[in-house]
Amino acid sequence: MQTLRRGLLAGVLASLVLAMFDFVTDGTPGNGLPAVLHWFGITVADPTLSRWAGFFLLVVLGAVWGLIFGALQRGTIITAGRALLTGLALGVLWWFIFELALTNIMNHASSPFSLSFGRFLSSFPLDVLFGVLIGAIFIQRQARQAAETL
Amino acid sequence: MSISSSVRKQKQMGTIATGEHTEVPPITLSEHSSTGLALLRIFVGYLWFQQLFWKLPPTFTGLYGYIVRESQHEILPGYGALPQHTFLAGCPSLSSPVGCTAFVPLAACVWTAELVVAISLLFGLFTRFGALLATILAVQLYVGLAYTEWIWTYGMLVLLALVLVAVPAGRRLGIDLWLAPRLQAAGQHHRLARIANWFV
Repeated sequence: MQTLRRGLLAGVLASLVLAMFDFVTDGTPGNGLPAVLHWFGITVADPTLSRWAGFFLLVVLGAVWGLIFGALQRGTIITAGRALLTGLALGVLWWFIFELALTNIMNHASSPFSLSFGRFLSSFPLDVLFGVLIGAIFIQRQARQAAETL
Repeated sequence: MSISSSVRKQKQMGTIATGEHTEVPPITLSEHSSTGLALLRIFVGYLWFQQLFWKLPPTFTGLYGYIVRESQHEILPGYGALPQHTFLAGCPSLSSPVGCTAFVPLAACVWTAELVVAISLLFGLFTRFGALLATILAVQLYVGLAYTEWIWTYGMLVLLALVLVAVPAGRRLGIDLWLAPRLQAAGQHHRLARIANWFV
């Protein structure tokens, strides 16, 4: 239960960092957030509402990813190496499912795996970072809780 | 996380500072401060990351205008002559890099260096190396471009990078968290690991 809770928190915080990137990008703040809705074929006409809905969906997805991360640890104390590696793998999985497959399917691309260099560069490092952040936050929380119990 | 990395220096400070009022206590960063600095590192990394996209390979077209501007508005007298007689030598036009053979290798190096900075700072991977590289790139931008825009734009970029050279910001929310203790341990036996340890 403890690892699930820790994973949930790590996922939410990591997704918040990911969402914040959209507020320091040129153009209208939060402009990239409706793309999260688009992964599931959801379109909201009102642009403000669309950004907020995208933001909340991103946090929810982050929480789900964090829960998966926590579940994979099976309630045990893990090493930093394992946490970062698991996070990295989950980041790659996130990129593969959402940024590659679902984006291509929703955009009716010729193949679900079609990808340009620019799109790869703009999405892959950030999604892997999301995963690494889950691992890093998880391990820092674990260390902190261990120190508090001592 | 303690930012007073050298125990020897602390001891020296203790011996010198004998008087009650002259003693200088060591500075220790709390977990919250360290995490805050790690977030700063991530966003500075994202700043560099974003700048990769307007000068993408293989043409690096977006960069050309800036190199031309650097050759025209420099802070250091004579600096402008450097790009003019090297990377821009023989370029037929000041508005397009077409036919400019020496520009492409320079642009490729700049782009790769910025990619390394972005990855290093975003992931907290050899963060101080990334920050050092960012400082060098930002100083170069300052020298070449500061007069063409608000002068503090590039000055702040230099200062931000310097903060990340000074503080081991990758040891929280970054891969240096895993790397640092291993390099420290290996550094006792291997010179290369000792050198690598400076950069985490």
